[in-house]
Amino acid sequence: MTLQSKVGVFAGAALLRLVLSTAFPSLPDLLTGRVEISTPVTSFKRLQEGLFLYNHNVWPYDGGVFHQAPLLLPLFSLLPDVEAWPIFTSLLYILVDLLSAYALLVIADSGEAGQSKHFTSPRRAKRSSGLLVAAAFLFNPYTIATCIGRSTSVFTNCAILFAIAKALSGSPFNAMVAISFASYLSMYPLLLLPPLVLLAYDRQSEKRRVDSAIKFSIRAILIAAVCISLLLAMSFALTGNSWDFLARTYGIQLTLSDLTPTVGLWWYFFIEIFDSFRAFFLAVFWLHLVIYVGGLSIRLRTQPLAVLTILLGIFAVFKPYPSIADTSLFLAMLALFRHLYPIMRYTYVASATMLYATFLGPAFYHLWIYAGSGNANFFYAITLVWSLGQSLFVSDLTFAVLRDEWEVERPEMVGKEIRQI
Amino acid sequence: MPRLLSTALSLRRDPRLLKIPPYISAFCIAIGVVWLLLLPLDDYSRRTYVSENALLPGQVHTYFGGSEQSIFRAFRHEVDLLASKNNFEVNDKLESILTGFGVKVGRQNYTYHSAGEIYSGENVYGILQAPRGDATEAIVLVAAWKSIDEQLNRNGVALVLTLARYFKRWSLWSKDIILLLPPDSTTGTQAWVDAYHDAHDSKYIAPLPLKSGALQGALAIDYPFEHRYHELHIIYDGTNGQLPNLDLINSIVNIAGGQMGIETTVQQMAGHTDSYQDRLQTMLRGMLYQGLGYPTGPHSSFIPYHVDAITLQPAGEGWHDEMAMGRVVEGSFRSLNNLLEHLHQSFFFYLLMQKNRFVSIGTYLPSAMLVAANFTIMAIFLWVKSGQPIAKREATDKPKGDISEGKGVSTTTPSSPPTVERNLLSPLALVATCHSISAIPLFVFNHLGIKTLPLAFLLFSVSSTALPAIFSFVIASVQKPTAQFFQLTKSFSLLILGVSLATLSTLNFSLAFLVGLLASPLTFIQPTKNLVTRLFLVILLILTSPPVVISSAAWTSGVTMSEVLKAASLGWNVWGMYTPIIIWCVWWPAWLIGTTNTLSSTFKI
Repeated sequence: MTLQSKVGVFAGAALLRLVLSTAFPSLPDLLTGRVEISTPVTSFKRLQEGLFLYNHNVWPYDGGVFHQAPLLLPLFSLLPDVEAWPIFTSLLYILVDLLSAYALLVIADSGEAGQSKHFTSPRRAKRSSGLLVAAAFLFNPYTIATCIGRSTSVFTNCAILFAIAKALSGSPFNAMVAISFASYLSMYPLLLLPPLVLLAYDRQSEKRRVDSAIKFSIRAILIAAVCISLLLAMSFALTGNSWDFLARTYGIQLTLSDLTPTVGLWWYFFIEIFDSFRAFFLAVFWLHLVIYVGGLSIRLRTQPLAVLTILLGIFAVFKPYPSIADTSLFLAMLALFRHLYPIMRYTYVASATMLYATFLGPAFYHLWIYAGSGNANFFYAITLVWSLGQSLFVSDLTFAVLRDEWEVERPEMVGKEIRQI
Repeated sequence: MPRLLSTALSLRRDPRLLKIPPYISAFCIAIGVVWLLLLPLDDYSRRTYVSENALLPGQVHTYFGGSEQSIFRAFRHEVDLLASKNNFEVNDKLESILTGFGVKVGRQNYTYHSAGEIYSGENVYGILQAPRGDATEAIVLVAAWKSIDEQLNRNGVALVLTLARYFKRWSLWSKDIILLLPPDSTTGTQAWVDAYHDAHDSKYIAPLPLKSGALQGALAIDYPFEHRYHELHIIYDGTNGQLPNLDLINSIVNIAGGQMGIETTVQQMAGHTDSYQDRLQTMLRGMLYQGLGYPTGPHSSFIPYHVDAITLQPAGEGWHDEMAMGRVVEGSFRSLNNLLEHLHQSFFFYLLMQKNRFVSIGTYLPSAMLVAANFTIMAIFLWVKSGQPIAKREATDKPKGDISEGKGVSTTTPSSPPTVERNLLSPLALVATCHSISAIPLFVFNHLGIKTLPLAFLLFSVSSTALPAIFSFVIASVQKPTAQFFQLTKSFSLLILGVSLATLSTLNFSLAFLVGLLASPLTFIQPTKNLVTRLFLVILLILTSPPVVISSAAWTSGVTMSEVLKAASLGWNVWGMYTPIIIWCVWWPAWLIGTTNTLSSTFKI
């Protein structure tokens, strides 16, 4: 992998995005309006609304449309007006995408996927180069659509990838700062903290080594807590010295009070649910999301990167407001596990399912919203298929990781058919 | 149960299992076609019924007649006088007539550019405000100055003017009535409907000065000829194969047939005997119009905006006069006036076999889905097959034994799972290339002028036929073509085709079915060594290639190629018709990849 090819891939990806958003000036607005890309908590359109209020000295959460982190507002008010100069916003998003790809490159080149501190995969020889992983992320249509649709989950994704990359390169402090940023922006990355701490613990640099795991994790969690508190304090100051923004940003995610359709499973369920059961099922849904963290971190203690990947896949299916941005992050991480592809069983079926859902989703949404000849069930049915495709990938990856581990313990079973009883 | 499961699992490894999918694919196509042919039978189609209670078709007495006929004659005289005038003079006169009996009038200019030609004109329309309404809902009555066949719509326009004057006197309207008089049956209504919903391109289309509420329905009258007629022809196909709610058609059939004793027909099937053959013919004609996605009348532009609309066209020689037509319109408007909410009860997806017989989506969709599924089945099969080790294939499949082992194929140890590594990059690259160059015909055919279009089409047909040969030569010179490469390219290409057609069948069933059927040879082609078979396959593929199919279809229906291309370009530029996308960006790349695959073994090194 030469520097030249690296530059080629990055420049190509940047150029592709730039050409798409300048040659078709209506494309960014079209994609921004798609429910598959923009959720209530990541929509660029809603950000514009918040920005307008912010710039006119009105509390940005007035109007109940904007639900994103307050610190995005000063960042975007620095940029020239998006109506007059859309190019600057595009450039910012492209830059963030390239940074994410760079972080992925670092992650892939660390070789952690095949060989961690406590586990060495017998298949690790077969690995995809960092450039290939970065290219798979950059040229993934879901990533491109997210970037051009200017969803703010791009920033979260970038922060998560940087947290992982920093943890791998032995700088736990930076990793914790990055994950704090991600959690501040979207809240759910907070759940990635346990495996990330484990990863950082495993990959400490020799110079500043902390041997006690408890000491290390307390320190890491403290760093994250301080960092998040700082960010929240800044937001507090920014939104007129009030804590009300918490309810309007994280509160919306916790209580799902905005029922705009997304590609996830929550909106339809909570439209249909009777109000008296709402609180209970909210708790159940959140508990379900949280419950994977502990189990996976313990079971796959030896491979924290695999835990992170599986968790990202689970979040892309089960979090309150998922979008294709989350899927693109999961698929990018999936590309790291090249050595497990031969033992994954449903890749083709899962990709075909997702392909079907990708085509049918917009068609059914059209039938529901525009043509009026369908109804909400059409779109919901497709989001179920979409989630099925993703969960197939997640379970298949989990199976492959476990099988890989198992073959180290039981070398005589290599290549034999196994069956769950 | 566990035993059953293990038997199933052991069957999975059975090589005989891999022989089945091509037959399943063929079976799917056959069932799909037979299914369609069964639909006209009594057991599979249903009688229509009005399911929206509020419509109450034919329950009111219609009073249009008597002295109104003299007024109609007078208006027809006025229209005749305007016959040779230009659009603006006509509109001046129409405006003065409409304002004469107290209707608010608006005018709208528009210009469309397509195939190097300019389509411009001025719409004139009046809003008759409802005495009992609050301007939140409206019904539209359309009469284009030029009929669908480009004749002066003299009776249609005169009838609309008479009806407007007549409607104005009644106090029972609870919805506004909009009288729309566009200069032609093609572009005028589109400009008006776009502007009504603020979806127009303000550079070329003026906004509307006057508006009313949400449109609940639209009725267009296309009545250019002089003599008395026998039946009413109901035209209902909208742009892109969208259809109006079946209740609207049912009500009009009911009012015309039950109250006025006028026969109604659909799809130009005069003298429908209700035999199997006639029903099938009606259905196939309907499918063809739906598949083309081309607007069939002034009503077509309304349907994409979820406004149910039809065109009424008198036909044949008989004894019914304009007044009877007026009473049908009056009856229909009284029914629409009753609506409490937008038409939603009845079907939006249906195939009509006869004015009162239809099949709904649940019954007919499986045929298109089966055709689309055949591609997906074959794609999965090819994927599985591409993962099998070469050695095994050699043992079972002698003729392919000489295929050299590609670099993507790793040597497998006996203990490893029985799948080989697939080299995905080059097949994906080929499929992506073919799909991305499909943007070229799409762009070219929708942006060239009418003079260059036929030449461009000829050039494109020639290059489209030559392209597979060039591609397969390039592939052969870049890398050693392996069986796996062909299987994977075909698998991806068929997967995309299957997915696109399955999606399309929910939007435009007929187009998906027709394209699926025409692309079905792609499922069964494969690179062979046998020269005769290969020649046969190549000829078959060339015969079913998009350019050849389009030109032969044009030839059989007696239309010149330049007219077809002009109409397609107009459809794309004015109505947003997506048929060209399906043909050039879904069907053509699949064909290109299929033909490249068939030719490939020619250039084997």
